[in-house]
Amino acid sequence: MADTASPLRSTSMGPAFESPVVRNYPTSEGGNLTLTDASATAKWLVRADADGPTADRLGARFGSSQMAPGGALVLGSRPGEWIIVGTPGEVSAAVADLDGLEAQEFMTVLDWTHSRAMFRATGVSATRMLEKVCGIDWSDHMTPDGAVLSASVALTTCDLARNDVDGTPSYLIFCDRSVGQYLFDALIDAGNEFGLTVTASSAS
Amino acid sequence: MLLVPCPNCGPRNSTDLRYGGESHARPDPNTASPAEWRAYLYLRDNPAGWLRENWYCASGCRRWFSVERNTATNEFRDPPLPGDKRGGAA
Repeated sequence: MADTASPLRSTSMGPAFESPVVRNYPTSEGGNLTLTDASATAKWLVRADADGPTADRLGARFGSSQMAPGGALVLGSRPGEWIIVGTPGEVSAAVADLDGLEAQEFMTVLDWTHSRAMFRATGVSATRMLEKVCGIDWSDHMTPDGAVLSASVALTTCDLARNDVDGTPSYLIFCDRSVGQYLFDALIDAGNEFGLTVTASSAS
Repeated sequence: MLLVPCPNCGPRNSTDLRYGGESHARPDPNTASPAEWRAYLYLRDNPAGWLRENWYCASGCRRWFSVERNTATNEFRDPPLPGDKRGGAA
């Protein structure tokens, strides 16, 4: 309980970032289950044909994720839809790698950083916390590390990606900015019985 | 709980999807009579048995698909395969 999460973050790209999570929470590091507001992380959306050249260039198919050569994380969130996550430089490199493909097919590339909230839930109990608010089978054989899916979480439509940290289960949860505060509170409520702690906001 | 077989996401709770009603082929607007349009827009078969219907995977892949459901037993059959372009119309 050493610090409180600041609602204001900034990135090196564009205006100062204001997280949708505006309440202050007692924060601490570590613990068996942690929840982090990572909304300030650069997030870009790419839409194109699910089987076109953009899909081949990005690599990650629907339901899976892949690291781009520049270090960004590419999530195949829906058929023909990808989310690129990382530092502004990593994401810029991944998006720049798509240059020229617009001549081959119709595609959309959109900076989602300010319009989507992103949280990271990490810990051995993260799965059990998600089971309380989401109807997905979170067992290892159904959603192994790298799995990506979209589902209802606490009655909000979310994109989810399993992105383990040093072998510990960890999940990235994306939702519309307008429901970010609600979902953050809902996850805290679901994780309380597992000893959830809120960690300071992160940009990655 | 009603598990709906989404072709992209797999079996999902029906609360993750939106029901799109019975699936009917749309009549040709150039040749359809008013009676045919009325039947297409407003009349439903509503059988107690197998029915082809449309579903929208609202919380998952955000794709429409059509599938047959037995309205008496809630069994599903003939879900489209992933990538199938078959939309709402049967």
